[in-house]
Amino acid sequence: MARSKEELIAAMGNAVLEMEDEEAAALAEEYVEAGYDAMEGLTEGLAKGMNRAGELYEEKEYFIPELLLCSDAFYGAVDVLRPHIQKKTDSGEQMTAVIGVVEGDTHDIGKNILKIMLETEGFDVYDLGKDVPTQNFIDAAREHNADFIGMSTLMTTTMIKMSEIIQELKNNGLRDRVVVMVGGGPISEAYADKIGADGYEPDAASAARRARELVLAHRS
Amino acid sequence: MSRKTKDEMTPKQRAAAIANGEEVDRMPCNPNVANGVARVYGCKISEFNTSAKTLAEAQIAGYRRFGYDSVRVFTDLFPWAEAMGAEVTMPEDDTVDLKTPAIKDPADYKKIHPLNPYKDGRLPVHLDAMKYLIDGVGDEVGISAAIVGPFTNACFLLGVENVLRFCYKNPEAVHHLCQVSLESLIAYADAAIDIGLGPTISEPMSSCTVISPKIFREFSAPYLKQLVDHFKSRDRGVVMHICGQTADIWEDIADMGVAGFSIDNVASIEECKKKIGNKTKILGNVNPGTTMYMGTPAEVRMATLQCIKEGYDSPKGFMPMSGCSLPVETPFENIDMMMDTVRELGYPVDPEKLDRMMKETEAELEKEKA
Repeated sequence: MARSKEELIAAMGNAVLEMEDEEAAALAEEYVEAGYDAMEGLTEGLAKGMNRAGELYEEKEYFIPELLLCSDAFYGAVDVLRPHIQKKTDSGEQMTAVIGVVEGDTHDIGKNILKIMLETEGFDVYDLGKDVPTQNFIDAAREHNADFIGMSTLMTTTMIKMSEIIQELKNNGLRDRVVVMVGGGPISEAYADKIGADGYEPDAASAARRARELVLAHRS
Repeated sequence: MSRKTKDEMTPKQRAAAIANGEEVDRMPCNPNVANGVARVYGCKISEFNTSAKTLAEAQIAGYRRFGYDSVRVFTDLFPWAEAMGAEVTMPEDDTVDLKTPAIKDPADYKKIHPLNPYKDGRLPVHLDAMKYLIDGVGDEVGISAAIVGPFTNACFLLGVENVLRFCYKNPEAVHHLCQVSLESLIAYADAAIDIGLGPTISEPMSSCTVISPKIFREFSAPYLKQLVDHFKSRDRGVVMHICGQTADIWEDIADMGVAGFSIDNVASIEECKKKIGNKTKILGNVNPGTTMYMGTPAEVRMATLQCIKEGYDSPKGFMPMSGCSLPVETPFENIDMMMDTVRELGYPVDPEKLDRMMKETEAELEKEKA
């Protein structure tokens, strides 16, 4: 007997949370074939599973390997749902993020998790990757009309690049148009304030939530 | 602020006297300067990749400049993975980084071979540098050869994310890579021991910030234990360092029988002392970034004293150190301050003097803020 939409949504969330990549993709196929709403499957099922994984990470139940496998399951199932998602054009909530690891640093696990978290918060994310030159942040912010810039570094030696990027945003008249957040091992709230960023959070899940709040507040 | 010109004892004399329970000029201290020695010696960091003599002379220059108690051959985390086929980037004047792991297709993991320390990659340069160091300062200061732990090396052989995924998806592959890494690291460390050095182990990927204690116990700890056992069989104690939070695996590490454990600044010396201070020496943990690199000398002094206050009475000993390798551009005056602080305090530590110094420094910090 065919499963109900609610059952499948719950099962997809669980499959993501339990790192079951094949299971998550198979459930997504079943969900799409049954003709259920793909966006709802993403936001209520997969994304909630990923959010829960993020919470378990904050609670130190999950660590990086578990999060990677959850995100594999999440992305695998998202790929199944994505072609069936109606693009929201009039919700007024479409938000665009540009993220990257600053120049000189190649530690990008945290940034990759932020990308997933931002997507679950409803952002279109342009991921510039790691070791990203300052100018690329500026160009991408302008090109994609970004609401949000997130930058990270794990190294004390490259922290200074964050301040440089904020200065360049100012020089290019872009600073007032975007919310800027910074993160990574050596970064702190105090450092964010010092260099004139809008926010800092110690982990990707809370950073993505804060990004959403700040962007919505910035708009109103 | 004047710097006392010279210590009364060499690090080796000091260590021997402390072991005999004698009074000495000061407690041993290791700011953990790493590639910053290039700034003392005046060379490009990339010269360490090719010139054993430069690597050794820069280390000696750093030791002579600051007078710290430990010299170490350690340029970056990747020489062993590189010797096994990984590609690295070598910036002209910055630390080497991993470019591509040794194994391109994860299905090929069985094709990896143990390294030959006398032939592969930059390892012969390191071994030659060790000989220069023994000749140059071997009679006055302990010299150690750094290696990474087998799990960390395995991560660089297959790519960090692949290995972390394989802990669930292909455990056999992770065990295989850890085993080959173990053999390789023993071969290199044995060559270093033959020259007269002692080993240190850095195992950053085993941090509780990265993997769970459960994954640590399954994939990392068994190989670390074999490594430590091997060193014991050669009469070498070993100091281990793991970055990030480690509280949940302290007892595992202490029970391996390490001679010392060096903790990151996010971990607490006080708690570490309570948990494993009766089993192993504790080293740490002034913040290398916020304090040593970005802080003022007074902040360095305060942080150094704070660490000593937490750790000096640890049953198996304590050494003030930075929580991880210092950033290359750490100001010399901050490194000097760390050393001068232990010089002024003396040894054994007088708790009243320690409190007095902390109060003075606090007053100084107040003034700085005002």
